[in-house]
Amino acid sequence: MEEKFEPKIIAFLCKWCSSAGSDLAGVSRMKYPPNVVPITVMCSGSISTNYILSAFKDGADGVLVSGCHPGDCHYIKGNYYARRRITLVKELLEFIGIEPERFQMSWVSAAEGAKYTEIIKDFVKELEPLGPQNKLRSNL
Amino acid sequence: MRKRIGFFICHCGINIAGTVDVSKVSEELSKYPGVIHSEDYIYMCSDPGQSRMIEAIKEKKLDKVVIACCSPTLHETTFRNAAKVAGINSFQCEIANVREQCSWVHKDMKKATTKAIKISKAAIERARLNESLEPISVPVTRRALVIGGGISGIQSALDLANSGYEVILVERSPSIGGHMIQLSETFPTLDCSQCIMTPKMVEVSKHPKIKLLTYSEIQEVAGYIGNFKVKILKKPTYVNPDKCTLCDECTKVCPVAVPNEFELGLTRRRAIYIPFPQAIPATYTLDINNCPGLFPIACGKCADVCEPGAIDFDMKPEILEEEVGSIIVSTGYDLYGKEEMAEYGYGKYEDVLDGLQFERLLSASGPTMGKILRPSDHKEPKEVVFIQCVGSRDPELHCAYCSKICCMYTAKHAMLYKHHVYDGQPYVFYIDIRSGGKDYEEFVQRAIEEDGVIYLRGKVSKIFQEGDKIKVWGVDTLSGKDIEIDADMVVLAMAMRPSEGASELAKKLKIALDKDGFLAEAHPKLRPVESLTSGMFLAGAAQAPKDIPEAVAQASGAAVKAVNILSQDRLYHSPTIATVNLTLCTGCGMCVDVCAYEAIKLEEGKAVVNEVLCEGCGTCSATCLRAAIKVKNVTPLQVHEMIKVALGG
Amino acid sequence: MVKPDDIKKECKSILEEGKVKYIVGYKRNNNSYMSIPAFIEKIEETDQLIWDPTCVYNLVRFIRDEKLRKERHKNPDTRPIGVIVKGCDSRAINVLLQEKFIKREDVYIIGVACEKSGVIEKKKLRKKFNEKNIKQIEFGKDNNFIIATEKGKTTISAEEILAERCIECNNNTPVIYDVLLGEKVERSLSEHFRSLEKFESISTEEKWNFWKKELDKCIRCYACRSVCPMCYCDECVADSISLAVKPDTTAEEKAQKIRWVEKSPVSSENFSYHLIRALHLAGRCIDCGECERVCPVDIPLRYLNKKMEKEASEQFGYTAGLDPEKPALVSDFKDDDPQDFII
Repeated sequence: MEEKFEPKIIAFLCKWCSSAGSDLAGVSRMKYPPNVVPITVMCSGSISTNYILSAFKDGADGVLVSGCHPGDCHYIKGNYYARRRITLVKELLEFIGIEPERFQMSWVSAAEGAKYTEIIKDFVKELEPLGPQNKLRSNL
Repeated sequence: MRKRIGFFICHCGINIAGTVDVSKVSEELSKYPGVIHSEDYIYMCSDPGQSRMIEAIKEKKLDKVVIACCSPTLHETTFRNAAKVAGINSFQCEIANVREQCSWVHKDMKKATTKAIKISKAAIERARLNESLEPISVPVTRRALVIGGGISGIQSALDLANSGYEVILVERSPSIGGHMIQLSETFPTLDCSQCIMTPKMVEVSKHPKIKLLTYSEIQEVAGYIGNFKVKILKKPTYVNPDKCTLCDECTKVCPVAVPNEFELGLTRRRAIYIPFPQAIPATYTLDINNCPGLFPIACGKCADVCEPGAIDFDMKPEILEEEVGSIIVSTGYDLYGKEEMAEYGYGKYEDVLDGLQFERLLSASGPTMGKILRPSDHKEPKEVVFIQCVGSRDPELHCAYCSKICCMYTAKHAMLYKHHVYDGQPYVFYIDIRSGGKDYEEFVQRAIEEDGVIYLRGKVSKIFQEGDKIKVWGVDTLSGKDIEIDADMVVLAMAMRPSEGASELAKKLKIALDKDGFLAEAHPKLRPVESLTSGMFLAGAAQAPKDIPEAVAQASGAAVKAVNILSQDRLYHSPTIATVNLTLCTGCGMCVDVCAYEAIKLEEGKAVVNEVLCEGCGTCSATCLRAAIKVKNVTPLQVHEMIKVALGG
Repeated sequence: MVKPDDIKKECKSILEEGKVKYIVGYKRNNNSYMSIPAFIEKIEETDQLIWDPTCVYNLVRFIRDEKLRKERHKNPDTRPIGVIVKGCDSRAINVLLQEKFIKREDVYIIGVACEKSGVIEKKKLRKKFNEKNIKQIEFGKDNNFIIATEKGKTTISAEEILAERCIECNNNTPVIYDVLLGEKVERSLSEHFRSLEKFESISTEEKWNFWKKELDKCIRCYACRSVCPMCYCDECVADSISLAVKPDTTAEEKAQKIRWVEKSPVSSENFSYHLIRALHLAGRCIDCGECERVCPVDIPLRYLNKKMEKEASEQFGYTAGLDPEKPALVSDFKDDDPQDFII
């Protein structure tokens, strides 16, 4: 039997909202697929475009960037800068022919464990039919 | 140097071990480069668990440890302290969250185990590149600055001074007291405002710990929490307060008469004046903008009659430099402007007053000695219309926000009017009545039931003068009837807005403003007295419209927040802050723009981080095109390595 | 249209007054119809200066070289250098000012308005003419170019060989200058991003195939980077081999150098390099077209930058190089920046 494709997702989470939201999903014993490996950073504003490109190059099938809702950033306005920067990356990736489903951004607050759970579930579901991301993946 | 890393995975009873094969993770990690000790244990956070870690560090000379366990928000501090006990730097201990972000959210043991391995390896990669760091500490200047001498500023200054700290209280007008000293009586108890205010003002002036600077303005603020340097401009009053005997001879000879600010233009004052009899400091001020001139002396009559020789035309502006550890901003409010409210005849008809002017009419020391008389003809008004929400709650034309105190003071005005004019009839136009607060609702009910104030729910559509009456047309939306009142006087409950000049001051202080121009608090719920600039706190109506008890409470809160800083010998700050690679930095200043804490400056064409102000968010690092700035222990290199292992296998 | 003589005259007087150290402009290349950059130091050399549709180069790049030269000198001549700029090039100066890479007094800006014309695109020219026969190209009347060959002169509508970027240009008049030559002529364009239209109707796979084919050609010669006036970093983030090793560079610093992009010219690394470059130029690229012009394998690099320009303009109302006092595209935000894509 052919093994089912398991998309690999990297989730860049800000420490104060989204990582705390994913912790809440855990505390609430919600269930989502184990395809996602979180990398917690201080603020969504600190997520360099290089991180995203690097994740795709290292073989991520999907990349999620998640921060605090607008107005709730622990660092006041980091998420607003992230929003601009991520918009540009998203547009550029689509422009060169990367499936838009592969790169997503979300606002997840510390209280939104359920939202985080749904995002991951949906993300995996959307990635499954696309198959592995080989376009940007490095063979080196 | 090769790193010696220890890895520990916690079973957390079955919380982790139930879904993650902890022994497999431990075994897998034991083969990982640099890991020379790997074990699993049932409860790592327990004393025996911590001891195992400490022993391993000592025995195997580990220089870094990674604990795979619950979320770092729970036990990062526990394990970092234990690492310190074992003799390694606390930043050499990293947490891999394999519970909340792994075992608790997955069911499939094989997959959860694979994921736990990835998370653990990523944490090891991060730990491998962690620097040993010690908290940053800076000394504290144990004095405070309070800006604004209204009730909030006075309360903060007294609380700080009574806690034993030196306070500099700066007020831009000639006397402290703010708007509260203008009020007649205060809701809901009807205390005489001056009676409760003046003792506090006197206390300020007599307090050995308070340095009062009136007629002074903040010119420049530099520095950071614990170490602010402030330049204060002390304007000349041309009167030496030590010599002045308050004989009032000068005002008798002064030929100038200008609107009296304290009486809100209801009376006039001289160019040399005392704002009000109980002014603190108790002295006169020569208002140079209205004096016929000092350079050369055009009149000089005041000096001629001043027996003690208190008038000194040679007085010069002074710039005082003060060092403080904390700043409280209590710059208060102003009423919404006349020009904006012309539709209500405000500024056009003499007998259309604002709430503060009405306070002066009610005040026993006011222009009418407490008698309610119309400014136009000094007759007693028999029908008075009070209009609420003038400029407030009007997002289309004026302010979207509720000014909060108007419902209460309008009820008070109507009630006090009735106490003065027994046969008069007060009407109140309102949108709805907001009387949340201790004894507030009872107060409004008293106005309606005992004093016969007629409340009309609806907006006023037109106000115009006809003969000696002011016609007020409106609708009572409850009965649906058109209302026409031939009023003798109209009192507008004007919206509160930030005091004039507050935004310029905020710029100097680098404090953010909210959308309405009030000073922005750091968090609307949990940090309501803190500004976004550390070491600066907010008190009173400068932050949002509020009544006296709220302003006083916030002022005391702000004082305690300031004491939090001033009571320390040194301030400690997390060392995970941004650092600049000067070779790479081109000085473009993009990091300066994005820093929410004003922590980065350009010096000689290079970015320089103020380590006390930096909060380590890393937005600068992601913005920098040259990769010239990074946050210690969350560096791009660390993330780069983490991405690789998180996707590996 | 500005006459070469106007430029000569202006440059002569600037040099006579000693206002500048030297002037960077355009002169004739004896072996080709194309112009080449000219460095004019002496008054008599101003006669070499020309202005014709082959003045394609963005001379702002040379400001960087001058800055480096000045830094090496112990007692440098601190007078500015004069630079002849077109509308697009002038915006590059604004970006350099915005990024504090240069000071306003470092440069004396001789702005030349393109009016209703612009510069040629060689690719288009080649399709119509045998380049070898062309002797010279001049601005004609009524938006025409006059092409001189051995056989005589041919007049051609400018649009036929005008560079795509000139057709899409919104800044035919320099936005910053000390002296402006030529007329400020309104030229309103509705098709500011017309070259991107062809990408809008094609599928994700078609886009990918297009870029895969194009970027796989890249040999990573870095000519695009070398010619770009914005690529002034000593060390490029996208390229680990450009680590600027100085005497005080420690072994740790060398070890800390992150290899976001490997140097091999393979697909994944080429994509990484060009994507990072496009993102680093977002809000900074002023579409001078130099990267595409110098690319030896003809990668249509402009599209990547143009795409970023389009998003900056449409989503954030930002155009590069218009106001040096404002924060950069990515160091600013508005509360209501679009966020429809965010979950």
